[in-house]
Amino acid sequence: MMGEKLNRTMNVLIVGVGGQGVIMVSKVLAQLCQADGHDVKQSEVHGMAKRGGGVFSHVRFGPKVWSPTIPEGEVDILVALEWAEGLRWLKHLKPDTGTFIADCQKIVPPFACRNRKRGAEPAYAPQTPEEIIEQVHAGYVMDATGMAANLGNARASNTVLLGALSTVLDFPEEAWVEIIAATVPAKSVEVNRAAFAEGRAWAMGGEKRIDVTASGLHKAHSEVHHPQVDTILEITEEWCKGCDICVKMCPERCLRLNDRLKAELALPDLCTGCQLCAWLCPDQAISVTNIPVTEPAE
Amino acid sequence: MKDTTAPAAFDVNDWIRQEQMPHFLCPGCGHGIALRALAWALHEQGIDKDRLAVVSGIGCSGRLSAYIDANTFHTTHGRPLTFATGLKLARPDLHVVVITGDGDCLAIGGNHLIHAARRNLDITCLMLNNEIYGMTGGQVSPTTSGGRYTSTTPMGNTEPTFDACALAAAAGAGFVGREVTMQVLGLRDLIGQAIAHKGFSFVEVLSDCTEIYGRKNDLGASPEMMLAKKSEMRPFAYRNTVDVPFRPNHLRTGVIARSDRPEYGAAYRAMAAGLRGEGGGA
Repeated sequence: MMGEKLNRTMNVLIVGVGGQGVIMVSKVLAQLCQADGHDVKQSEVHGMAKRGGGVFSHVRFGPKVWSPTIPEGEVDILVALEWAEGLRWLKHLKPDTGTFIADCQKIVPPFACRNRKRGAEPAYAPQTPEEIIEQVHAGYVMDATGMAANLGNARASNTVLLGALSTVLDFPEEAWVEIIAATVPAKSVEVNRAAFAEGRAWAMGGEKRIDVTASGLHKAHSEVHHPQVDTILEITEEWCKGCDICVKMCPERCLRLNDRLKAELALPDLCTGCQLCAWLCPDQAISVTNIPVTEPAE
Repeated sequence: MKDTTAPAAFDVNDWIRQEQMPHFLCPGCGHGIALRALAWALHEQGIDKDRLAVVSGIGCSGRLSAYIDANTFHTTHGRPLTFATGLKLARPDLHVVVITGDGDCLAIGGNHLIHAARRNLDITCLMLNNEIYGMTGGQVSPTTSGGRYTSTTPMGNTEPTFDACALAAAAGAGFVGREVTMQVLGLRDLIGQAIAHKGFSFVEVLSDCTEIYGRKNDLGASPEMMLAKKSEMRPFAYRNTVDVPFRPNHLRTGVIARSDRPEYGAAYRAMAAGLRGEGGGA
């Protein structure tokens, strides 16, 4: 809490994934600070990220702000609309006094799905909220998306986080609500108002809070699970004419032509059993069988 | 990946004559992919092999009937549709599928195509368009693109081409579709719809001739030809919604035309029954 008159620059870093509303959060905060008479500088990276890429926005305010960007390790409050994006920027947080506010919802990027074998675990950040909360001065890990979904619109998750942010900064609640109502589209003012109130009430509960089970949404995401399969790829060598289609079309590039110009599975570990080679083989020489891996009996 | 709820998974080996394999097609010929798509569509439609007749003409495409394990009929050049018409009228209980090529269907059998479409008899016609007469030595065909070199156009082709789908639709075919071999699943579903349609259904498969057409025109090996063919198509998600002004040479894929004109076989049998005094008609 700031308490008395601010005599230094406050740094707030808002991060998330394209389409989540990072810019909206920073816009609300910047307008609020400006209305309160602070000098404000906001700079953001957007557009290039489109939907699904990383987006961040720096908001600095105080008596006089010179640089528009925040140096590493100088962030007072880090607001993460997505869990892994929060972890990515965690080292920018002030080690001893920084506050970490994050949505625990995961948006798994394509890059984390490089292993396309069926049933493979995505290479997503393995850190749990408990581990991260240990490392920061104050931390709030909440299921903002789930809370917003319970209120009727999961896209209001950014406003839930604004509610949590409002407990850390020293502005009156009415000022927040007024600016949010002026920023969001008219038809979603009510849900955003409710989302703000919910986030604020939740964050009042303590300086280090974790609650990842606000709704069934989080659970539903993790329950999506494809059974692992064993893939058997057989090539009838007598039928293969070495046309190169399977070799060139394989997304994993795991086939090759051998010295007799017959296709062979060179890298069986990479084969995901997608069957594209079998579908595209004009000579019907490839057969791919996916057999579900049975759990070993106890 | 869609989970198929079909009782038995598709295995192409159930549908091809094992003793005939490997087939005679050149390495990388798209006709082999069309063969799999056809067999897959037949499997998905639950067609009984004993109730299936595959009729084909002459050419590389004509040979495909020899590899399908069903009642097959290898007929004269350009006339598979006429044979199929007689077959379907005599045995309306059979599913009749015609496999024909671009030269077979549009040049020598062009007349038969328009009349088969006009009658709208319940036949599925699969035209494998590889833009050339491959088997007879690489002569120019009615669908050879402009400027392409063939054995009869050594200076490049200057003839305009047929749009086979527009032709079939204009002649009155009940179902007209087009797909590339690269999109196996789309092709399978399109052929499935064509088989299910009551009336004359025409599917143009844009196949590739690597050895003769591709080699002579320096189009690369079959993977390159397939990818190039795919990229010439209007994007799947755009079809029937917007015209794409920035890509002048695109062709549409998917279902091109569809109509519910009366099917000829039913009308013919109703008239025959009436003449015999069975139907209570005139």
